Amino acid sequence: MTTKKGLSFVGVISFVLVFLLFSFSFVSGQPASSAPKTIKIGASISLTGRFAAGGTDVADGYKIAVKHINDDGGLFIKEYNKKIPIELIIYDDESDPSKTVTRLEKLNSVDKVVAYLGEFASDMNIAGLGIAEKNKIPWVGITIAVENAFNQGFKYTFAPNMFSYMEVAAFFNALDSIPKDQRPKKIANFELQVDWGKECTKYLHQYAKERGYTIALEQKYAPDTKDFASLILAAKSAGCDAVFSVPTPPQSMALIKQMKELDYAPKATCFVRGPDLSNYWQVMGKDANYILTSGEWTPEMPYTGNKKLVADYRAQYPNKPIGMPVGNGYSAFQVLADAITKAGKLDREAIRQALTTTDIMTVKGRVTFDKRGIGNVPWVLAQWQNGKLEIVVSPDYKPAPLLLAPPWSKR
Amino acid sequence: MIQKKKMITASILTLFLFVLPLFISKDYILSILCMLFLYITLSQSWNILGGYTGQVNVGQAAFFGIGALVARLLWIAGMPFYLAIVAGGLGSVLLSVIIGLPALRLKGHYFAIGTLAVAWIAQITVGNMLPGISFLPAQYMATYGLVSRYYVFLIVMVGALATIYFTVHSRIGLGMEATRDDEEAAQTVGVNIFKYKVIAFMLSSFFAGLAGGGFAYFHASFYWHLPFGLMWCFEPILIAFIGGVGSFIGPIVGSVCYVLLKEIFALTLGEMNVLIFGIVFILTILFFPKGIIGLPSKIRELFRKGREPLLATEVAEDKSKSQGGSSL
Repeated sequence: MTTKKGLSFVGVISFVLVFLLFSFSFVSGQPASSAPKTIKIGASISLTGRFAAGGTDVADGYKIAVKHINDDGGLFIKEYNKKIPIELIIYDDESDPSKTVTRLEKLNSVDKVVAYLGEFASDMNIAGLGIAEKNKIPWVGITIAVENAFNQGFKYTFAPNMFSYMEVAAFFNALDSIPKDQRPKKIANFELQVDWGKECTKYLHQYAKERGYTIALEQKYAPDTKDFASLILAAKSAGCDAVFSVPTPPQSMALIKQMKELDYAPKATCFVRGPDLSNYWQVMGKDANYILTSGEWTPEMPYTGNKKLVADYRAQYPNKPIGMPVGNGYSAFQVLADAITKAGKLDREAIRQALTTTDIMTVKGRVTFDKRGIGNVPWVLAQWQNGKLEIVVSPDYKPAPLLLAPPWSKR
Repeated sequence: MIQKKKMITASILTLFLFVLPLFISKDYILSILCMLFLYITLSQSWNILGGYTGQVNVGQAAFFGIGALVARLLWIAGMPFYLAIVAGGLGSVLLSVIIGLPALRLKGHYFAIGTLAVAWIAQITVGNMLPGISFLPAQYMATYGLVSRYYVFLIVMVGALATIYFTVHSRIGLGMEATRDDEEAAQTVGVNIFKYKVIAFMLSSFFAGLAGGGFAYFHASFYWHLPFGLMWCFEPILIAFIGGVGSFIGPIVGSVCYVLLKEIFALTLGEMNVLIFGIVFILTILFFPKGIIGLPSKIRELFRKGREPLLATEVAEDKSKSQGGSSL
């Protein structure tokens, strides 16, 4: 009996000791699980097909960002108390949105990436947004300007770039910077028949009313329109001295050529898309002068790290012009890298949470996000001035003066 | 007996495909299989009109797109998806009747150009009328899973293959092939070629529409104009030519090569994949005009040609031996 009682006591004591030891091991900190060799980040990008030019620029921006981070040992991850290098996995979606879906599924289920990065063209980005949300993987885009895409209540998608309302506001800021007696007053809106064009029209009307301008002409055109003569002649006869549009890159060239042929030279012409690409001056030559366009990122921007990005790019591609998507790609990577470090662990949900509190200075300025994932970025606008994209609207530094376009005969 | 064997093989394969998701945990594999089934359906739907009936339709995107548009709109509006996808297929059939009645009076290149124009017009019209994005509502996103997409594509594919198989092996199929081989001769012997063209066109558009419905179910978000893109016109033709036009197995083999080979090339060869796939395609067209399914007979033919001189030598030797023998 006594033996039985004694054994029972010993048993209880042993259990308590084992329990305490087990508990202490948790309280004093578990031995850290082994750190992964790399932090996997994935992107599906158009490296071939119709959007390859922009896609390769984006990929270059990402690659340089990865190089800069890995040269420094990688990203510090608190959970492992060490720096871990980044492994960037890029698949070519061949400019086909269905392939974007399969590539992003591969990045999720095979490569197990912790986050997605966006791509150049809207068709693919739109396909990617849905997959990111479905897979609950943070997605950081770079060139998606459609506000409506961020009004769907998605939680995992973030875009640190200018949206339609910012682009239109920057255009009006540019007009406001012109002395009153020379300022254009009658605006022609050439509306591209896509959601982005429609959003811009909405904001053009709103801001024109608020700031005392008149939308004197509104003409619509399809994404594959090549002949703009009727629009141009209508704007000319309506006496419009400013033009706003978001054409496709080939359309932005056709429009300028046809405006020249029809001798229509408004004081300010703003094509948000097209003239911002690196080869625009090479193709258009002096005809590109005075055109206003997206200035989201230029090689001359004075923000920290921009000089290093440009120097490394030029060292790598001495004969290739450096386009806006390179800088946008780089800054998107900076945003994501910052969020991963802040999260302190390689957990998708923790990274998403960290992205919502982003506040970082990138190569194109300060980036934060609103509740929808829309980036609060500097509202800037650039102008082609003798072969150089000069920033003419910036909230952060003194921009170059905006030049009014003279008649074609005087250029 | 051969027919029975084929049926048993097809049934086993179908059964295997139905239980396959139980053994696949990776969404990537499922998404690739979804695309494979989509392309088999779409290329087979093109094949019944282009391959079996000889009417080269270059506007398959219009029918694919209408199927996607109708199915997505009805589904998002609250209709059960299985009804929405059938409605999408029927919408495509309606378009084929409207387009087909006048277009099928055209012959050869004119029919091809006419159908391409229809696809182009559909793309521009949808782009202008619906310039926005189709997002799945939040409650649909919350339950999104690839397994259900897999089964939709599989059922549509099996349905399309079974229907097309039995059609082309029936009296209707004979009428279609007679129309393809020589319209005037067929008419002379009393074949109503217009009837067979219309049947083929309606079947083709119905299954293209169902494939479009699958696309609408598969994509969480897309621009409305996307299923009307001209790539949906050219890809089914490309696949049918790679596999073998006018044969039942051709589009299946073509789709397997197109989807899987392209995937492997894209993932392993990077940007070179387009060039290499293009070269493979050109070589296939140049040297195997009957597509990949014509490969065994081509090899047999080459082998026979190689053997012919040898056989001739053997015969000559035998002859000389026998002559020599007689001389002895």
